[in-house]
Amino acid sequence: MCDIIWCKKTQADGKPCETVNYLDPYCFWNWKGNINCAHCGTVYAIHMIQGHMYKGPDEQPAGTKPDTSPLYADKPLEGYINYPSGMEGRTRPFHCLPRHIYLGVPDMVKFSIRGKPLRGWRPQPKSAGIAGQFPYNWEMEKLSPEVAAEYKEKIAKGEVKEW
Amino acid sequence: MIEAKGLTPRQFLDKVLEPEKESDHICWQCEFLKPVIKGSSFPPADIIGWCMKIHWPYYWCVADFNVVKKCYVFKQKG
Amino acid sequence: MTKDLRECRLEDLPGPKSKQELDEMRMPYEDYCKAVFAPGHEMSKPEALKGIRWLSTTMYIFTPHSVANLAELGAEVIKVEMPRMGDPMKHTSPFNEAYLYPLHDTRPMTGTGYGFTSANVNEYYLSMDYHLPEMKEAFYRLIKMSDGLTECYRPGTFDRWKQSYRFVQELNPRFIYVWGGGFGYGPKCFGGSYDILGQAHAGLASVTGMHEFMGGHCTKHSNWCIDWYSGTQITFGILAALHWRAKTGLGTMIEFSQVQAATRVLGHAAPMYGRFGIVRQRWGNWDTQLCVHGIILCGKSDFPDAINPQDKFEARYAMVSAFQDKDFKALCDVIKKPDMYSKYMKHKDRVEGEAQVDIYAELEDWAKDKSRAEVVRILQSEGLLCEPVMNDREVYESEHYRTRGTVRWMEDPLFGDVLVQGTYSAGLMSQTPRRQYWIWRPVGADNVKIYHEMLGYPISTVKEWYDKAWI
Ligand code: SF4
Ligand SMILES: [Zn+2]
Repeated sequence: MCDIIWCKKTQADGKPCETVNYLDPYCFWNWKGNINCAHCGTVYAIHMIQGHMYKGPDEQPAGTKPDTSPLYADKPLEGYINYPSGMEGRTRPFHCLPRHIYLGVPDMVKFSIRGKPLRGWRPQPKSAGIAGQFPYNWEMEKLSPEVAAEYKEKIAKGEVKEW
Repeated sequence: MIEAKGLTPRQFLDKVLEPEKESDHICWQCEFLKPVIKGSSFPPADIIGWCMKIHWPYYWCVADFNVVKKCYVFKQKG
Repeated sequence: MTKDLRECRLEDLPGPKSKQELDEMRMPYEDYCKAVFAPGHEMSKPEALKGIRWLSTTMYIFTPHSVANLAELGAEVIKVEMPRMGDPMKHTSPFNEAYLYPLHDTRPMTGTGYGFTSANVNEYYLSMDYHLPEMKEAFYRLIKMSDGLTECYRPGTFDRWKQSYRFVQELNPRFIYVWGGGFGYGPKCFGGSYDILGQAHAGLASVTGMHEFMGGHCTKHSNWCIDWYSGTQITFGILAALHWRAKTGLGTMIEFSQVQAATRVLGHAAPMYGRFGIVRQRWGNWDTQLCVHGIILCGKSDFPDAINPQDKFEARYAMVSAFQDKDFKALCDVIKKPDMYSKYMKHKDRVEGEAQVDIYAELEDWAKDKSRAEVVRILQSEGLLCEPVMNDREVYESEHYRTRGTVRWMEDPLFGDVLVQGTYSAGLMSQTPRRQYWIWRPVGADNVKIYHEMLGYPISTVKEWYDKAWI
């Protein structure tokens, strides 16, 4: 069960807001309070009981402070315009966002947080072995001389720690 | 969608949680009963719902064959 | 020294000569533990399960972990994977972030995800499509040379492929065969399983999280704790089966349903229902049998300026335990609510649901202008049990864990510097400690070792199978 607030508030340009604000069941299952439209900020009072809308959405006078924000909102009549979760002031703040590098591309690091080298970035050289064999230990000097060189620099700069 | 006009929150909740069973338990008038809702195939068929008070925070299964007529914490639902 | 050298007198032996001397010579317990467990020196000690060879035709975490436990204790484990693909778990990584390359010789651009960590350490990696008739011989030969196998296919799959217990028992009557999966035989026989299903179907998720009246919903643990737990339960079964075999010479079949296993951790749930018809409910960060014994929210984070949100916003929780009358009185005095003590003087009274709501609200009210560290310091100085709820970074920084070697850095022979916590958190052993040699190896990395060196197939055959993708 997921209810919505379809905001029809008339905007400055005379057109309705037409934003769909999604009320995720986890937060709104049994909930009474004020919630803002992610696009125009109009505040609505709602009262939900057991996942069903009991009262509202009733528009509140301008300046009313919202108790919370929708999880997510979009404007279905204007294509794929949306407000993802975690947008301060629009959708519900969510502090533990994935890191900015979260683009579906793996993070390739050549040194651990204590500054020692690790192998495992791509592309890797094919093994010299038979049938998928990897018959060697990782010898940095041979397999990745540039990492070995960088490691020496790091040691000299005192960037390599035990913990 | 359930029409909320003129209903108190409690009456509204009763519509949402439309019960599967009917019986002579006084629990039906009690604030603390959480009924088995219509169409449930789970839980077992021989209970009318759960009492949320007697063993709170645990829920007590109110059996349909053992009719509660009198209860020391009964509270008329609002 | 006695004349007769065969006679042995206490005075002649090295070491203490009296009880008093013994007491003087005895190391403090702390030093004794450091000496016998010697974290970091595990490799110089013997391995308890050396000589046991186990096959692992497993996937994901649950069944692989049952075997990783053996490998950490010294068994020789051969993980048999799908050619060129490997365990599906190798293709998962939290939020798609961390992969270690390569996955396989032919796929230099594909890596193994961190999701695979800790469930398959120290194993040899063989690739084999064992359902092909052409590979049956090699598979059966492995069965004959091994002590057991753990598999996780739908019930009856290995039977259809003629490699279930009924078949392998004829090849090797000492064989210990483990099936680990979702439901096991019964009406839901064909249901597969994941950890989340185990948590849900066993009734565990329904008692995790906040109570309904606090707006809580049933909750699964963020980690796959039932996979790890069930895997460990299988390991117990295997060790018992090995003991039984040592006595009788006979193998065993272990049939292990994950959804069933998770019901074991539900404590009083079933007996309570059976006696009164009461259904156990969620009780969040508090406790159903003890009060005060829970986690409270403090007003201020310990690291308000940190960048990491786990530190900046979340370093605010502390666990507090003061359920004994004396401790509860001390707690009420600290928070300046002596009347709360008079109200709930008996544990029987304060453990009631309503009382707990009352008590924890007072505690959080007291903590609302304090940081987590302040709360911990104040309560500890009153002799009460109170510890911060730590995140991964704090676990890493913890001196206690460093001393015991719980979290440590290791040099993986293939992948370099890795921080590990799995192996060394599972208990210390003075004689035969667990250890980690390598975190994992690429798909088929040990094909030559197993097919050629162990089973004696010529290299040309191994190459041929490899080119046909049978291995
Ligand atoms: S409190 Fe008594 S009357 Fe109310 S539901 Fe429970 S048993 Fe029934
Ligand atoms: Zn709007």
